[in-house]
Amino acid sequence: MKRRQFIIGTGALAAASRAAQAADDVVIGVVYPLTGNGAAVGLDAKAAYEVAAKIINDTHAPIGVAMGKGGGLDKLGGAKIKLVFADSQNDPQKARAEAERLITQDKAVAIVGSYTSATGATISQVTERYEVPYISADNSSPSLNQRGLKWFFRTGPHDEMFTKGMFDFLADVAKKTGKPAKSVALFYEDSIFGTDSSNVQRKLAAAAGLPVAADIRYRASSPSLSTEAQKLKAANADVLLPSSYTSDAILILKAMNEIGYKPKAILAQAAGFQESAFMQGAGALAEGAMSRSSFALDADKLRPAIPVVNGLYKAHNNKDMNDNTSREITALLVLADAINRAGSAKPDDIRKALIATDMPGSQTIMPWAGVKFDETGQNTMCNPVIQQVFDGTYKTVWPFDLAAKDVVWNVGS
Amino acid sequence: MENFITRRRRKELIVAGLLLAVAVFAPMAIRDVTALNVIILSLLFAGLAQAWNIIGGYCGQISLGHAVYFGMGSYVSTLLYVQAGLPPSAGIFIGGAVGGLAALLVGWPCFRLSGHYYAIATVVVGEIGYLLFLNWDYVGGATGVYIPIAKPSLINLQFGKDKLPYLHLVLAFVAATWLAAWLIEGSRWGYAWRAVKDDVVAARSLGVNIFASKMAASAISGFFTGLGGAIYGLYVGYIDPDSVMAGHFSILIALPTVLGGVGTLWGPILGAALLIPLKELSSSYLGGSGRGVDLMLYGAMIIVVALARPQGLVSLFGGRKHGAP
Amino acid sequence: MTLETVLQVAAGGLLMGLIYALVAAGLSLIFGLMDVVNFAHGELMMLAMYAVFVIWQASGLDPMLQLPIVAAMLFLGGMAIYRGMIARALGVQFNRGMVQIFVTFGLAIFIRGAAQFVWGGEFRSVTNTWLSDRSLNLAGVYFPLPQLAAAAVCLAAFAGLLLISRTEFGKALEATREDREAVALIGIDRDRIFALGWGLGAGAVGIAGVMLAGFYYVGPNVGASFALIAYVTVALGGFGSMGGALVAGLLIGEVEAFTAVVLEPSLKQIGVFGVYLLVLMFRPRGLFGKL
Repeated sequence: MKRRQFIIGTGALAAASRAAQAADDVVIGVVYPLTGNGAAVGLDAKAAYEVAAKIINDTHAPIGVAMGKGGGLDKLGGAKIKLVFADSQNDPQKARAEAERLITQDKAVAIVGSYTSATGATISQVTERYEVPYISADNSSPSLNQRGLKWFFRTGPHDEMFTKGMFDFLADVAKKTGKPAKSVALFYEDSIFGTDSSNVQRKLAAAAGLPVAADIRYRASSPSLSTEAQKLKAANADVLLPSSYTSDAILILKAMNEIGYKPKAILAQAAGFQESAFMQGAGALAEGAMSRSSFALDADKLRPAIPVVNGLYKAHNNKDMNDNTSREITALLVLADAINRAGSAKPDDIRKALIATDMPGSQTIMPWAGVKFDETGQNTMCNPVIQQVFDGTYKTVWPFDLAAKDVVWNVGS
Repeated sequence: MENFITRRRRKELIVAGLLLAVAVFAPMAIRDVTALNVIILSLLFAGLAQAWNIIGGYCGQISLGHAVYFGMGSYVSTLLYVQAGLPPSAGIFIGGAVGGLAALLVGWPCFRLSGHYYAIATVVVGEIGYLLFLNWDYVGGATGVYIPIAKPSLINLQFGKDKLPYLHLVLAFVAATWLAAWLIEGSRWGYAWRAVKDDVVAARSLGVNIFASKMAASAISGFFTGLGGAIYGLYVGYIDPDSVMAGHFSILIALPTVLGGVGTLWGPILGAALLIPLKELSSSYLGGSGRGVDLMLYGAMIIVVALARPQGLVSLFGGRKHGAP
Repeated sequence: MTLETVLQVAAGGLLMGLIYALVAAGLSLIFGLMDVVNFAHGELMMLAMYAVFVIWQASGLDPMLQLPIVAAMLFLGGMAIYRGMIARALGVQFNRGMVQIFVTFGLAIFIRGAAQFVWGGEFRSVTNTWLSDRSLNLAGVYFPLPQLAAAAVCLAAFAGLLLISRTEFGKALEATREDREAVALIGIDRDRIFALGWGLGAGAVGIAGVMLAGFYYVGPNVGASFALIAYVTVALGGFGSMGGALVAGLLIGEVEAFTAVVLEPSLKQIGVFGVYLLVLMFRPRGLFGKL
C-alpha cells in the first residue's frame, strides 16, 4: 500500500509539474436524454453536473473532499473539469454513438451517465472497448455490473440494494409499531426498470413471507390507469409498492382517489415519486406516501454540506436536489476525487484510482456509509433511506437513527 | 424503345458499380469514428429505405409498420446467437427470412384494406409486435438482450472498435437491396406492381393478380428489412423492444424514400444520405442544449422537402420521371 | 371478480371511451372532408393542454372557463396550418397521399420540439380546479367529476357537429366532400371550406385538450399516446363517419378496460388493436365507413 501510494505520489508530482505549465482541462463526457421521453430528468441531471463541476472548479468549500484548497484539481496543477454533454434521446444506439463521439472527438477521459438502464448497457460496452471508465450515477438495473466489465463503476445503489432497504424498513417498522404489513401489491411499468424492480420485490416478499395480493404490470404512459386502480382496490393490500415514472405516478394516485381508494401505505421505488413535478401534480394526494431514496435532504445534521450544495443547486435550477440529482452530483465528485488522486488524466490511472476509492460517508452529501467499489465496480456502502411526504415535502423516516420525523404508519389501524 | 430501356438500365448498373467501388475504398481515409458511425447508419437506412421502396414505392402500399420486420430480424438473429450459438453470419439471413415470413403474415389480412385503412392497420400491427415483445419474457421482455462481446471475426460479424468492416457489411447490404430493386424494375413483376400502384382496376383487367403481387413485394421487402434489423442489432450490441421495434423506426425506414423519391432506384439512397446525417448530427451538436432545437430542425426539413419536392430530391438531378420505366 | 369491480371497470371504460371519441372527432371530420389523415393531431391536443396550463398559471382561470378561449385559439391555428401547409400539400402533382402523410408527420415532430423549447421537458399539471379530485358516487360506483364533465362535453360536441351539418355551411361541407370539383361551379369556395374544416377539426381537438388538462398531466410527448388510439378510433368507426367515431370510441374504451382485467394491464392495448383488426377483416372500411 505504502509503495503504491509512493508510486502514485511521484506520478502525481510529475504530472503536477507538467500540468503547472498548462493545466489542461480534464474533459468528462456526460450522456443523458436531453430531448424526448426522459428529457425532464435529463435536464435536471445536466444542471446537477454543472453544479458539481462548479464545486470542483471554483471552490471545494461546501464539501470535505480532499482536492486541495484552490479551484480545480490540485494534483493536476489546478486543472479544471470540463463537461461535454450529449443527448441520448433515451435511445441505446444514440447513447452508444454519443459515448463513442465523446471519447474519440472530445477526448473525454471518462463518461458519466445515463439515467435509463438500456442506455447504460450500451454506453458501458463502448467504454469497455475504448478502455475509459464509465461512472454510472443512476442506472439502477442490477444486471449492469454483473457482466464482468472492467471499466464500469456504479456509485449509487442498484435495485436489489434499494429493494432490500425497503423490506428492511418493513421489518423494522413492524417491530417498532407492532403492526406488521400482512400483504403487498406490486405495481410496475413494462420497462426494464419496472421489470427489474418487481422481480426483486417478488423475491424479497417471498423471503419475508409476505403474500403478493396483486401483481400488476402496466403499460407506461397509458391514457388511463383507472382499471389498474380498480384492481388495486379489489386486492386492498397493506402496502402498495409502485415502480413508476413521474407521469404514471401522478396518474395512479389520481385514479385511486377517483374511485375512493387510498392504500394504507405506499412505498415507492423512488423514480417518479421523487420528482418535483410529481409533488406539484399529485398535490395533497401524495401526502403520507413513502419512497426509498438514496438521498436525504433533511440529513443536514449528519452531513452539513447538504444545505450548501443544495443552495448552489437551487440557485442554478430553481428546485431542491432529489434522489437522482444528488446521486449525479456525487458521481462526478467521486470521479473528480479519483482523477485528483491519480494525479493524471489517463483513463488507466483513473481506473486504478477508482478501484482504490475509499471515501467515508462524511465526505459525501449522501447518508451513505461511504464509497468503495467491489470487484464488479459496484459501490457496496450506499445504503438507502426511506422518506415520507409531510406537507408536500419528503422527510426521512428510516433508518430510525437518521429520522427527521416519526413515520406515520396506518397499516393495521 | 426496348433498346433504349436496355441501354439505360445497363448504364445505371455501371454507375452503381462505380459508386460501389468508390464507397468501398473512400472511407478508408476516414479516421473519425463519429463520421464513420454516421456513414454506417446512413448506409443502413439507405438499404432499409430501398427495402421499403419495394413495397411502398414500386407497389404503392404505404406501410408504416416496418419496425416489426426490422425488430423480428434483429431478435431472431440475436437470440439464435445468444441461445443457440449460431454465428451471426448465418443468423442474419434467418433473421431476414423470418422478417419476410412476418411480412406475408401481416400482408394476408392487411392487403384487403386500401389507402389510409392500410396505413393505419400497419401502424397497429407494428404496435402489436412491439407490445408482444415487451411482455414476452422468453425474448428478454423489457430487459432486452445483450450481444456478448466476442473476438472480432467475420463469422461473428463483430469487429470491436474497428468501424470499417461494419461499413463494408452495410455497404454490401445496400448493394444487395439496390440490385434487388434494379432486377425488379426490369422484371415482369416490376411492371405488374407498378400497374397495381397506378391503377388497380386497370391492372386487374390486364390479368395481374393483385393480391399475389402485393404479397410477393411484401415478402421481399420484409426479408431485406429483417436483414437490416439483424445487422443493426449486431452493430449496437444490445437490443430491446424500444430500440428495435418502436414505431419511430417504421417512419425512419419510410422517410428516406419519401424524401428521396418513391419508386426510383436512387431516391432511397439520396434520401438517406441527406436525412440520416442531418438527424444524427443535429441531435449530436444541438441536442446537448436540451431545448428541442434538433427536433424542430428535423421536422421542418421533412415539411420543406416534402412540399418543395414532392417527386423526391432525386428529381433535382434531372433523373427520369417518377415511376415511369 | 365482484360485481362492484365489473361495474366500476365498465364505468371507467365508458368515460374513457367518450374521451377517445372526443379526441377522434376532429380527426374524423378533417379526413371525411378532404381525405387527409392529420398525423399531428395529438400534438395539436398537446398545444391546447399547454395553453390551458399557461392561462391557468397566469390567471388562475378554471379550465372550464377557458374552453371557448382555447377552442378559438386552436380553430385559428388549424386554419393557419391549412393555409400554410395543407393547401400546398393538396396541390402537389406527385405522391399526394405520401406528401400529405409526411408533411403532417414533420409538423408533429416540429411541434414537439417547439413545446420542449418553450416549456422544457417537465411534466406539468393543472391542479385545484373546480372539479379536480372529486367523484360522484352512484351506489358504490365512482364517476370522477373531471372525466364526467369531459364525457358531457364530448356528447355536446358531437351534438354541435351534428347541428353544424344541418346549417348552410354544413351543407357546403357535405357537398365539397361529395364532389370537390363540382362545388366550384355552384359558387362554393373549396379552399375556404377546407380551411374552415381544419379550423373546426383543430377546435374540436382543442376542446378535448382542455377537458383532458383538467385531470391529465401535460408534457411534450403527451399527444402520442392519445393520437394512436385516435387513429384506431377513426379507422374502426370508418373514416369520415362522426357517429362511427362515437361508437368506436366507446367500444375501444370498454375493450381496453376489460382487457386490463381479463389479461394483464400491460396488454390492454393489444385487446383494442385485436378487436380493430378483427372488425376490419369483415368491414374493411370500418363499422360505419362507406363501402
